[in-house]
Amino acid sequence: MPLNRDALWYKDAIIYQVHVRTFHDSNGDGIGDFPGLEQKLDYLQELGVSAIWLMPFFPSPLRDDGYDIADYNAVHASYGTLEDFRKLLDSAHERGIRVIIEMVLNHTSDQHPWFQEARSSADNPRRDWYVWSDTDTRYKGTRIIFLDTEKSNWAWDPISKSYYWHRFFSHQPDLNYDNPAVRDQMWAVMKFWLEMGVDAFRLDAVPYLVEREGTNCENLPETHTILKDLRRKLDEEFPGRMLLAEANQWPADLRPYFGDGDEFHMAFHFPLMPRMFMGLKLEDRKPITEILQQTPEIPPSCQWSLFLRNHDELTLEMVTDMERDYMYDMYAENKTMRLNLGIRRRLAPLLSNDRRRIELMNGMLMSLPGTPIIYYGDEIGMGDNISLGDRNGVRTPMQWTGGWNSGFSGADPEHLYAPLIQSPVYGYPAVNVFAQRESEHSLLHWMQRIITVRRSTAVFGRGSIEFLYPANHRILAYLRRLDKETVLVVNNLSSTAQAVELDLRHYKGNILVEMFGNNIFPRVGDLPYLLTMGPYQFYWFRLRRV
Amino acid sequence: MREMIVSELTQALHDLAQGFAHYLPRLIVMLILAFLGWVIAYVVKMILRSILRLIKFDKLSENAGASQLLTKAALPSATEIVSRFVFWVTWLGFIMLGVSVLGILGLQEQIARFFLFLPRLFVAMFILFFGILAASFFSRAALLAAVNANVPSPRVLSLAVRSIIIVFVLSIVFEELGLAEQTMLVAFGIAFGAIMLGLAIAFGMGGRDLAQRFLEKKFIRGKKEENEDELSPL
Amino acid sequence: MVPGKSRSTELNLEDGNFLTDDFLRQLINVGEVDILVGLPTHNNAKTIGPIVSAIQKEILQTFPRERTVIINADGGSRDGTPELVTGKSIDDIRPTSNLHTLRTLHTISTRYASSPASGTALRTILAAADLLRAKACVVMSPDSQNTESERLSRFLRPIYRDGFDLVTPTYRRPKFDGLLMTNLLYPMIRALYGLRIREAYTAEFGFSNRLGGQFLGQNGWNDRSGGTGAELRLTLAAITGGYRICQSFLGEKEHIERRAADLVPTLRETVGALFSALESEFAVWSTVSGSQPVPTTGSDQELLLDPMRVNRKRLREMFSTGVAELESVFRSILSPATLAELQRIARLGEAEFQYPAELWVRTVYEFAASYQKSVISRDHIIQALAPLFRGRVFTFLIENRNASAGEVEDNIESLCLEFERLKPYLLQMWKSKE
Repeated sequence: MPLNRDALWYKDAIIYQVHVRTFHDSNGDGIGDFPGLEQKLDYLQELGVSAIWLMPFFPSPLRDDGYDIADYNAVHASYGTLEDFRKLLDSAHERGIRVIIEMVLNHTSDQHPWFQEARSSADNPRRDWYVWSDTDTRYKGTRIIFLDTEKSNWAWDPISKSYYWHRFFSHQPDLNYDNPAVRDQMWAVMKFWLEMGVDAFRLDAVPYLVEREGTNCENLPETHTILKDLRRKLDEEFPGRMLLAEANQWPADLRPYFGDGDEFHMAFHFPLMPRMFMGLKLEDRKPITEILQQTPEIPPSCQWSLFLRNHDELTLEMVTDMERDYMYDMYAENKTMRLNLGIRRRLAPLLSNDRRRIELMNGMLMSLPGTPIIYYGDEIGMGDNISLGDRNGVRTPMQWTGGWNSGFSGADPEHLYAPLIQSPVYGYPAVNVFAQRESEHSLLHWMQRIITVRRSTAVFGRGSIEFLYPANHRILAYLRRLDKETVLVVNNLSSTAQAVELDLRHYKGNILVEMFGNNIFPRVGDLPYLLTMGPYQFYWFRLRRV
Repeated sequence: MREMIVSELTQALHDLAQGFAHYLPRLIVMLILAFLGWVIAYVVKMILRSILRLIKFDKLSENAGASQLLTKAALPSATEIVSRFVFWVTWLGFIMLGVSVLGILGLQEQIARFFLFLPRLFVAMFILFFGILAASFFSRAALLAAVNANVPSPRVLSLAVRSIIIVFVLSIVFEELGLAEQTMLVAFGIAFGAIMLGLAIAFGMGGRDLAQRFLEKKFIRGKKEENEDELSPL
Repeated sequence: MVPGKSRSTELNLEDGNFLTDDFLRQLINVGEVDILVGLPTHNNAKTIGPIVSAIQKEILQTFPRERTVIINADGGSRDGTPELVTGKSIDDIRPTSNLHTLRTLHTISTRYASSPASGTALRTILAAADLLRAKACVVMSPDSQNTESERLSRFLRPIYRDGFDLVTPTYRRPKFDGLLMTNLLYPMIRALYGLRIREAYTAEFGFSNRLGGQFLGQNGWNDRSGGTGAELRLTLAAITGGYRICQSFLGEKEHIERRAADLVPTLRETVGALFSALESEFAVWSTVSGSQPVPTTGSDQELLLDPMRVNRKRLREMFSTGVAELESVFRSILSPATLAELQRIARLGEAEFQYPAELWVRTVYEFAASYQKSVISRDHIIQALAPLFRGRVFTFLIENRNASAGEVEDNIESLCLEFERLKPYLLQMWKSKE
């Protein structure tokens, strides 16, 4: 199946987020690799995804799971060779699956040759590629992102006897984007991968590119200029490719990253995600509708990217203190689950392995305006391992079978890059792809089904959204519209059965067709439309006039 | 001559005996009826008395204030009165029945009328009883209301209310009994009118100041009336 | 005391149409709640806005995670009070509020009648609380100008967190305020039921769903009295049902203007309700002796010493007039000795007049016994009490004219002990009927 050539392919995409290391090991060294991933592309095609987003696979000391890059133009030896990657790209494209890779612009590893040179002396030509200072008092007031591990944004370099700036770990010095050489070099890096055939970049940590005194060093206009420039070059030389922004900001602060359709194509809607979990626990749609009411309009060619979980902690940066406390108490009573203002758990454990809740959350993910991203393993309801430090608890090997190493690798179990989940509930004997393929009503089959329904219409990816506000605050209901097509989505956020009356006056005369079973429901008349819903149930209705 | 007298006498005696013999059975029947009637009336009285005691009739009439009236008139309790009344009426009824058996023409009619009269008598007694109840209740209500509103001469008011109701009830009773209807009507009219006139005068004279103050308060704002308790009881 | 039996899960409403369809629909949309705040209103447009705002603020501060609803039971307001209340609903339908909340805070309103009746209002609130399974409910007064914070939580915390079933308020009052409470209701309830509840009849109180559900199911809503004195009966139901009761100090009690003419209806609602309750609860209060204090949170109440303008002369006059004019009525109610004594003091001049505590207690008890026997119409008995109460008030005012707050409290305490001491007298009169 060839790639669809639509320039706006990302609006219809279903993205699957995966780390090569975690997926499938082909050479028995206990670490997943590109050939292994290539072998599993059929599975992904069967699932229905149209794009995979690969976590960083560059050479790296791996002190930040690969986001500390030591060489931009190669791949880490553990995952294979550059040739393996090319083969993977081609195989994916054959199956109609696009490939999105990471590009960390803001910083490098301190093991990167550039930094090694820069720190060697104050006169080195690459000195200016990073941000140096004699004191650690510059850019005061800038917030620290990794609160649990870092105390300052400045680190002392004993070799060159000065401080260098790092917004993340101290072993990830920030590149200096005021230096045109840096900017040119990074475009060259991107070009390298684009020419190979990569379809899109997820640009990591974009708000922090530029620093200025007297500001909070985030979202500065200079940063936007640089990004617009990158986009321009991209459109010129590689039309049809996509840039996805990782910017954990309030919607109003995110809006500039779309520019006028001349900056990023897509951005993650970070504030929505914790509110979906909050709305579920509160059994109240208010957090969800409010954040979407506050979400600004974006240019027609742009798209939000929605997700439930990812490789990081469930971030609670973009909520109020009261909301954060609530989320902590509800979802992470065990304090070890809390990290950096977030919760480091997978989807299924967060939802107490409740199948109905998992379905509801995925239902909302697939029906709210934006492109959904599925984190690997969540489609079979994988669990997490808190005892693995930092955020590694949600990055355990993919569970394929109930057998040796769960089918992930032929190696000695002690050589796996991370131990498999063994718990009685989430352990690989219980939760694996093989078992779920055998079981008709497994979560995997359900996910395949909902992806199929989602892809059957463009209205979810491209349509507008209009919220209905039924008096029953436990029901989240909205209409998605695109040209002549209208879909009504009704979600019951409550753990108990509910009755709701919807005001569908404007749609009088329409027959409702439920989209999973294609059965007809009563026609809309003069009276409010009454629906009764089971716990955590949701409906997708196509509105049809005969 | 002597034979004529004897034969007349004999004839007369014979007639008398015949007449006597004719009436004797009936007389006996009458006496039997009277006796039976006494027995039945007595039984009814006893039963009624028990029933009335059971429903605490005495208490009810005490509530109505009827008992007080009775005690004042040195009459026995309400239960007793009702029981005895029923006894006498029942017995009288039976006696009337016995008399009617005698077949004395003129009496028949009277007896029939007596029996026709009975229901109306009961109704009248009924109205009277509840009338006294009502009079008592409303007069007491008026008394309490007047006292609590600090209206002058509350007892006069209460008595007036009682009188009006009693007079009204009495006139209905008399009308029901069919005794001197017209007279009663007129008498009631006069009495009622007199009472009302009396009240008007009493209130007019006595309440003159009150009316004055009331009007002042309504139409002339200036004098700040000394407010009573600014206490709130709760 | 027998602990209250668990209430049935079925709702025990006599008339099926007691709640309007529209209100029921609103309740369906609100769903289960943890906290319910009831606001009975009638033409309170001037004060209701700030009160609702204060309630919402307090909920956000102290119970931000709880599901809460504010229910306004309106008795036919014509000044737009219900609209003012519902307009303050915090939800995503009309996002006008600048209060930031975790969840929707519904504010709904229903009209329970076209004229105010506090019993029906309370019943509406109880029914809603039962249907919504609210764990803790508070009824608040719409008259309060005092919107100081913490008012609501002082009722809610004991119920929601400490498991109490009824929370009655205590206030800092002017020393001559609330004399019906201090001279009759408080001592009598204390003596008969054995609990020292200062404010058994109050416009603001809190209760748990256990107590609310059981009280709702009790008969008495369709009495002739039509649910009057429902607040008092709730307190008594809590006592007889063995529920946990506590008091919470609320600060200064506001002065609400009442006219002298309000005394009789007030007596009906309070003393009338109390007397009629005594009959059915005889088995409970007859066995109690002495009295226990009730756990109280917040500072101890003290009395304020503001002097108040009171027309004492009129009180005494109304007493004397009453005793004279109502002699025929009193003869049915009081014992001859008591009546004679009352007539004696009625003839005293203002300087010597004194309605001693013991005589007052006897009076009240004899009234209670007569009420129970229905010697005359019960409503008349209550009305007859009014002038006597005024006489007692006069004496209380004189005795405490120059007293300090502590001394007034001592006097009240000794009156209470008198009530307790003479309780056998009441029992004796009560039983003499049988």
